[in-house]
Amino acid sequence: MIELLDLYKEYAEPGRIRAVLRGVSARIDDGEFVAIRGRSGSGKTTLLNLIAGIDLPTRGEVRLDGVAVSRMTAHQRTLMRRSQVGFIFQFFNLIPTLTVIENVLLPADLAGDSRPDALVRAVQLLGRVGLEDRQREFPDRLSGGEQQRVAIARALVQGPTLILADEPTGNLDEETGDRVIDLLEELARQAGKTLILVTHSHRIAARADRVLAMEHGLLVPAPRPRGLKAQARPAQP
Amino acid sequence: MTSISLLRSSFRSLLRRPWQTGLMVMGIALGVAVVVAIDLANASAGRAFELSSQALVGRATHQLVGGPAGIPDSLYTALRVEQGVRSSAPVVEGMVLAVGLERQPLRVLGVDPLVDAPFRDHFGLAGVDFVDLARFYTDRQAVFVSPDMADRYGWRVGTTVEVQVGAHLETVRIAGTIPPREGGSSAALDNVLVMDVAAAQELLGQVGRLTRIDLILGPDEADVLRGRLPEGVRLVPAGEQTQTLGQLTEAFQLNLTALSLLALVVGMFLIYNTVMFSVVQRRPVLGTMRALGLTGGQLFGLVLAETAVVAAIGAAAGLGLGWLLGRGAVTLVSQTINDLYYVLAVREAPLRMATAVKGIALGLGAGLAGALLPALEAASVPPVTAMARSSLEARARRWIPWVAGTGVALLGLGSLLLVWARSSILTSLLALAGVVVGLALMVPAATVVLMRMAGPVMRRAAGALGTMAARSVVRSLSRTGIAIAALTVSVSATIGVSAMITSFRSTVANWLDLVLRADVYVSAPGPSGAQWGTNLPPDLVARLESVEGVAVVEPYRTVLVSSEFGEIQLTAVDGRRQRDAGLYRFARGTPEQIWAQVLDGAVIASEPLAYRAGLAPASASIRLETDRGPRTFPIAAVYYDYTAERGALIMTLETYHRYWDDVSLTSFGIFATPGQGLDDLAARMRRELGGTGLEVQVNRALRLEALRIFDRTFAITNALRLLAVVVAFIGMVSALMALQLERSRELATLQALGCTPGQLSRLTLMETGLMGTVSAVLSWPIGLALAAILVYVINLRSFGWSIRLQIEPGLFLQALAIGLAAALLAAIYPLHRLTRAEVAAGLRQE
Repeated sequence: MIELLDLYKEYAEPGRIRAVLRGVSARIDDGEFVAIRGRSGSGKTTLLNLIAGIDLPTRGEVRLDGVAVSRMTAHQRTLMRRSQVGFIFQFFNLIPTLTVIENVLLPADLAGDSRPDALVRAVQLLGRVGLEDRQREFPDRLSGGEQQRVAIARALVQGPTLILADEPTGNLDEETGDRVIDLLEELARQAGKTLILVTHSHRIAARADRVLAMEHGLLVPAPRPRGLKAQARPAQP
Repeated sequence: MTSISLLRSSFRSLLRRPWQTGLMVMGIALGVAVVVAIDLANASAGRAFELSSQALVGRATHQLVGGPAGIPDSLYTALRVEQGVRSSAPVVEGMVLAVGLERQPLRVLGVDPLVDAPFRDHFGLAGVDFVDLARFYTDRQAVFVSPDMADRYGWRVGTTVEVQVGAHLETVRIAGTIPPREGGSSAALDNVLVMDVAAAQELLGQVGRLTRIDLILGPDEADVLRGRLPEGVRLVPAGEQTQTLGQLTEAFQLNLTALSLLALVVGMFLIYNTVMFSVVQRRPVLGTMRALGLTGGQLFGLVLAETAVVAAIGAAAGLGLGWLLGRGAVTLVSQTINDLYYVLAVREAPLRMATAVKGIALGLGAGLAGALLPALEAASVPPVTAMARSSLEARARRWIPWVAGTGVALLGLGSLLLVWARSSILTSLLALAGVVVGLALMVPAATVVLMRMAGPVMRRAAGALGTMAARSVVRSLSRTGIAIAALTVSVSATIGVSAMITSFRSTVANWLDLVLRADVYVSAPGPSGAQWGTNLPPDLVARLESVEGVAVVEPYRTVLVSSEFGEIQLTAVDGRRQRDAGLYRFARGTPEQIWAQVLDGAVIASEPLAYRAGLAPASASIRLETDRGPRTFPIAAVYYDYTAERGALIMTLETYHRYWDDVSLTSFGIFATPGQGLDDLAARMRRELGGTGLEVQVNRALRLEALRIFDRTFAITNALRLLAVVVAFIGMVSALMALQLERSRELATLQALGCTPGQLSRLTLMETGLMGTVSAVLSWPIGLALAAILVYVINLRSFGWSIRLQIEPGLFLQALAIGLAAALLAAIYPLHRLTRAEVAAGLRQE
């Protein structure tokens, strides 16, 4: 379970303090698929970074399964990310000097996991995302959609409980984006992962269990877009 | 968009990257500073030499000169009275040491003011207003000095100065100062004691002899006079000897200039890297500018303009720094010239306009040359989109075979030129530059190969991070390749120059063992070599033989004589001891046969002389100007010699006395009776020679002193070599910083995926370590090639010395240590940035 308790994030700028988050509070249950919408610069990515412990709030607290992330040391937060969080970025952020399989294996490698075990998982995941025959390719030989599918496999390889996706379709065309979201949702729901997805797309947001919006530094419930049918929330694993 | 707003945008982008811009300025500044410092030192030494030559030679058109003992002063009387040559002036010259000034060498110049006015402004009757003529003639100890010199040493009129002259201690008295003439320089008379010609004869122990007679003659008068000269006296154009002397240092100074240019070339790599980074980083902006209507040509000009501004700032800073460094360099250069060539007093290195212009031009030229490729890259940016970095790198990788091919071609051309340019030092140095640049161009290709080999090893050792480290070096080859090449060139130069110096030192050390066979040596203090003109009395032999424990005293006479190949050093030795077989480079027959020829009147020639004069060892002879007129001497052998670059000959004292009226001696080798303690013997000899000021040194001390002077002459070479490494090190820092900045998002992604700061640091250190290791490994063969070229080609052609190339294994480890240290030190700032960088900010970067 993720608890966001009165989160503030402020940035010092010449002559003023710019507040991006002004007291965000929310609770996200295990296995829930939450979409976060909002205008550019509204603080969506900042919120994801705070949840992942990449950034620290100016005030307030993020709790993962009851543990305050902001009270962890930098090293503890890194270890937490390794084991509990899978990250998917808008620009895929694959490491250009590693092959597809090496990119997927990277979190395991960083965690010092035993190679054969991790390799089996990585190959299986690549099979799930339909790229088992592209294992030896470097990222620059893949299309955008393929790169994002590799990123999904990478995010899942360590079996995290939480997947954070920051506009994962923002750099893809609609059709490819839909396929990527299909895959991400399917994998997350099947494994019972919590999925927090930042998006501008009403259509993609409509697939979430819950849609929240960042407005004036606050996270507020957002109405489901009309004409789009919400999917049923899967059972908890 | 106006050009002003373009330039404004350009310069703001420079200001936004103060560290990189600063490094670029520093790279150029250091390169220019080194060139300027060496140029100033060389020019100051040259100017000091020119001034002192002018002061000594003056307006004379010709000179009458004789052998080592000079010419009889009766010849001067005969010349003026009997032959009516009125435009003539007698000159006596010699060197003394100021005992109270840490044995500072001073030149004694004896002239006759009554006849000197047409020749030299300083001492003629025109100068009666400042020279007290009465004192000049009546006080046999009176000397006149320049006001600067008097100020420097705190001398007043009446101050007495104790000087060492040969085996005597004498006293001179300051009688007045000679201010510089209008438009003249006081430096011309720096460290010169001017005195009456007769007093100088007495002081220098040359009563009845003159060093030369200066003349002002028309061409016809010269021809007439030449026909009437007695045997052993020659009429030579004025300044011929000093000109030859000046030419001697040319090779030494040219080599220094070449080495100083190395730092600038390495600085050029740095400029390329920084400008290329700036272009790559701004590709989207440049693409937008193209879309707004800017032509490729305008972008090309823009990049060159901003580089020119940075290079100009760097060059200006380099001028200032060079001027400061020049003060140190002038001391080192003039010390080497003093040690190897002639006594020269250089006190300052004023910044000359020519040097300033040269420095600015070289700095700007290097900057623009370094920016040329990046500017072409900027001009090729497509208007619509910013080309991906990966495409640029893919293109760079496609170019690798062509770059390597060009390198092979340059290497071949340089090698051919080395063989073809048999004697030209300049061409040899150009060929060496061709070889170095050719090998540097092959570095990127070699890096790809080495990194492919390192990849699997790194994977096994450090997992994915190891793989990333090896691949990222290749992936950013347009940048890393240049940084590695720059470091490789610098480390190679270090290996090459170190190997050359080590080989040279070891060769000289072995040679000293062959040459220094006596147990104890006695000589007058002061610089060694014939230019000193030491005259010790022959009765010293008996005095030395009387000391308890002395078995044999071997006298030596070292003088300068004129030959068909210019002035050379002649050493006359005791014929009783034949020279060691190992001393001969080429010989006709056994050592016994050679020595039999020498006893019979032949000479043995030094290797530099044989090389310079192209003497064939089998059938050579040499013509020398003796007191009996020109005589030809057969050359029995060529011997190794590292003392007299002008060339040297050895003959027996018997032969010398047969042809020259000079019984003076220069030094003595003392062989002790068996079982003698050498330090005790030396102490007894010092007691015996008390009051003469002569130096007594045991073999071991003399050997150490010789090697100390050797090391001193290479001090400036070592300093230059280090500076090139410093510039390369800055290049490495700059390249690494650029890489880290470029990869901010990649590194932030790694952190988001759970990479700890420790793992990130290891990644950076692995990358820099790999780059440093590649530089070191590639520098081994290149360094060896450089060493071989320096030893077998450049040194031989510059100085005529044959050196046995000796490579110490420690040199390779040293290169590895330098490469790794430079690379690892270069990682400090990127590491510092990594630990401070915000992951969130890194992830936001496009």
